[in-house]
Amino acid sequence: MSRDPMQSVIVIGAGVNGLVAAHTLAGAGRRVLVLEQRSDTETDASPNVGWVPPQVVKELSLDTHGFAVRRTDPWISSALPDGSRLELWHDVGRSAEAIRRLSLADAAKWPEFCARMRKLGSVLEALYVVPPTDVETTDPMELLRLAGLGLRVRRLGKQGMIDLLRILPMAVAELLDDWFASDALKGVLGAAGVTHLHQGPRSGGTAFGLLHHHVGSPTGVFRPPVSNVSQVLSALPGIEIRRGATVTGITLKDGRATGVVLAGGEEIAASQIASSADPRRTMLGLAAPGWLDPEFALAVRNIKCRGVAATVTLTVDRAPDFSTLLIAPSLEYLERAYDDAKYGRVSTHPWLEARADGNRVIVHAQYAPYELADGSWDDARRTALGDLVVERLTERAPSLRSAITAREVLTPADLERRYGLTEGHAYQGELTLDQILFMRPVPNWGHYRTPITGLFLCGAGTHPGGAIAGASGRNAAREILHGKD
Amino acid sequence: MSITWDAIVIGGGHNGLVNAAYLARAGRKVLVLEQRPRVGGAAVTEEIFPGFKFSMFSYVVSLLRPEIIRDLDLPSHGLHILPLGSTVTPMENGNYLAAWADHDETRRELYRHSPRDADAYDEYGRLMFHMAHAVKPILSMVPPDPTSLAPRDLMGLLRLGKHFRDLGAEKFHALYKLMTMSSADFLEEWFETDVLKATKSASGIIGTFLGPRSPGTAYVLLHHYMGELDGVFRAWGFAKGGTGSVSESIAGAARRFGAEVRTDAAVAHVLVKGGRAAGVVLANGEEIRARTVVSGLDPRRTFLGLVDRKELPEEFVADIERFKFRGSSGKVNLALGALPNFTCMPGNGPHLRGAMSISPSLDYVERAYDDAKYGEFSRRPFMDIVIPSLIDPGMAPPGKHVMSIFVQYAPYFLKGGWTDAKREAFGDAVVNAVERFAPNIKSCILHRQVLTPLDIERITGLSEGNIFGGELALHQLFFLRPAPGWAKYRSPVRGLYQCGAGTHPGGGIMGASGRLAAMAILEDRA
Repeated sequence: MSRDPMQSVIVIGAGVNGLVAAHTLAGAGRRVLVLEQRSDTETDASPNVGWVPPQVVKELSLDTHGFAVRRTDPWISSALPDGSRLELWHDVGRSAEAIRRLSLADAAKWPEFCARMRKLGSVLEALYVVPPTDVETTDPMELLRLAGLGLRVRRLGKQGMIDLLRILPMAVAELLDDWFASDALKGVLGAAGVTHLHQGPRSGGTAFGLLHHHVGSPTGVFRPPVSNVSQVLSALPGIEIRRGATVTGITLKDGRATGVVLAGGEEIAASQIASSADPRRTMLGLAAPGWLDPEFALAVRNIKCRGVAATVTLTVDRAPDFSTLLIAPSLEYLERAYDDAKYGRVSTHPWLEARADGNRVIVHAQYAPYELADGSWDDARRTALGDLVVERLTERAPSLRSAITAREVLTPADLERRYGLTEGHAYQGELTLDQILFMRPVPNWGHYRTPITGLFLCGAGTHPGGAIAGASGRNAAREILHGKD
Repeated sequence: MSITWDAIVIGGGHNGLVNAAYLARAGRKVLVLEQRPRVGGAAVTEEIFPGFKFSMFSYVVSLLRPEIIRDLDLPSHGLHILPLGSTVTPMENGNYLAAWADHDETRRELYRHSPRDADAYDEYGRLMFHMAHAVKPILSMVPPDPTSLAPRDLMGLLRLGKHFRDLGAEKFHALYKLMTMSSADFLEEWFETDVLKATKSASGIIGTFLGPRSPGTAYVLLHHYMGELDGVFRAWGFAKGGTGSVSESIAGAARRFGAEVRTDAAVAHVLVKGGRAAGVVLANGEEIRARTVVSGLDPRRTFLGLVDRKELPEEFVADIERFKFRGSSGKVNLALGALPNFTCMPGNGPHLRGAMSISPSLDYVERAYDDAKYGEFSRRPFMDIVIPSLIDPGMAPPGKHVMSIFVQYAPYFLKGGWTDAKREAFGDAVVNAVERFAPNIKSCILHRQVLTPLDIERITGLSEGNIFGGELALHQLFFLRPAPGWAKYRSPVRGLYQCGAGTHPGGGIMGASGRLAAMAILEDRA
């Protein structure tokens, strides 16, 4: 044992949630060591997609350390089959102007739609910065919070309440069909609904996906904010980060976590461990599953985290003619892309979203399922996927083709290998209705704790999940600091 | 204006009849108006071909509420349920999966496919039994309005909250999962045998425009688990004499309590005087007055078809307009000269007395949905096949049989629209799909009737041919069925009530909507 275990905490993983947990704990006087398996800091330099709640920004004084949210205008340019583009802006009126070209009726409804979605987004924002409350609770404080939540929902007014209850379980396609006629507009919004989901826009619960990815964004913007939060967090003083340190196991004594074992065999003791690795990897991979109650182990094994997206990074020698280019011209396009994935194939016409970032273009490509019907991911399949993405992208942005000097393709299998994400799922568990709030990561364990005393979960696999940068880490740290154990 | 009725019930479907029977039982003077020559709506028996009787649309019974059977003493009016013992799923490779009435036999059969699944099966059955029990009280409950501050609604919400809390964490979480998951994902947590998951998941898609991998279907799975026959959960059966005899027995009870049932009386219009329902006008111009009008028709036909738009708030009309139907099921009724011979179980046998489910794999059922998603009928559909004449010989001439094939998917909005040629092509696709598992089927067929969702709409009046009177999707259930604020069987027009399957709890031959609406009317002293 190389360290004094008193009041020391080990955080596994130096992602946003791990670092927010680490800094929050350090700020409260804990001695924190962060263990990160990757030795480079390349990931930190990448822009971070997701809402950083204002509580995180304030508590860690991120503003004074250079934290910046990057807002591009238009926030999206959707490439349409006729060669034109639908551009949507932060200015709701300006977007309506753009939509008018496609549908007068849609343009007229746009402001009201944006206002109503924003109202629901704010309810989710309030829910996301606190641990989830289980309606089964008997704890008086929890009940009080539940009552407070009920009041907040009531304050939405009749219309807002009905919207909330009605919309959450809906298919995003149904919601959008209720409002709009334009395929292009519905494609932009529908894509947000299925982000990192093994579902198409006609599947129930995807309307929640739209709201989730609206969280933290201004009225009329339906994509998560992009920021430099990773970079700021890893430069922030107060914690020790060891890179190139792969945790292979969690040591236990009498049902209590006592420390971790590294790949080289080194053991490090700590009084508490917070893992930002996904729940399946943490509980079934790092902690000896033999220790777990079979019911709990089964619930963890049943967490759905079917990776469906690949990331293709293109290096370019000149800036493209877009800031964010979308290829998802209609709901049917998205649904057909999903059909391929449903049967274990890469979409022949995938949903692509390409973000310009200096001399790079970062492309989200969905659907590229982790599990393939005809074998598994290998070099040939990775290359084919890269070719397909470049082909589809340059069909709609021809000037990009000659600008590409290099490309890197990360399939779900690569994401799993490189970042340890089970099945390559970026959110550490799909954000379906049965895996959010008090059901995340598994029912009865929504409070960042595990059946192993002293072992906590603080990654996106816990409430509120992916695309909310740092909320899981902050909620978990507060639970470690103020919880009863 | 010689007679004024206390109440007129529009539509002699099973819910309308249940409603009328309860009102008459309470001493109200009730008139039921049915547009067709016979009562029943979608629960009718018809001799489509000479000597061959069919439960033309709805063909099995299990959801009928036991309190209705008791209150109305339906057995004394001819209701007799014959149990449907088994479900056999033929597989593509010639094998089969069977579930028999005998529990041990089913277990042995499952063991043949997977010992693990055989073990899980009992536990799964227990869970679903508990879940059905947990939801059962809600079926007999008037949905409280969560946006209202009225003491009754708040009490209702509290009662509901307490009900869920009393379930305990484990059951509550399981119920929550059922409400939100896809049937495929839900079953994935329990079983490994594909054909078992496919067959079970099929009951999650019935009447929906969703595939087994779409969230929301696990709830429909549960909805079909709530069947309760003679107190036994999950028991499905045929009504002796066909499904029409269920309707006839309810009509008989209503008449005994003093209600009058008029057929061939199509209602064209609901009379509204001073914001209050005053009666109806028939298609032939006849005006009939009543203090209360109850509609058993679906919400769209009731509010957008029979009531003058200016009598309704704009927001309500918008809600009803977006209430989704999207009929997705068809029916093929066959008169057979001989019994079909299934490759997986040759010859006559007990399997033919039960249901044959054409759901050989999850992908098969999902692909059937894919076709419908893009506006085509399934080339290889999911089918639920029964041969009622084997259990109830009166349904067909001696030595001959009737076969009922429930088919999914056949979308109401077919690309290019339904035509006679398309209907026949659909019928051919169904028979061809059956032939793959029962090669002699074509040679057995004497007559064939094909019903598309459009036909279902045309004959029964169900909008878009949706068999549940509106989709059973989560956002159309409970206090949202059919519209927020109007889920308590009342309507914005005073004296006009709704009692059809488009209200909570909806769908299946259940009768709960008709009964709960009657309670609301009696409570209002309308």
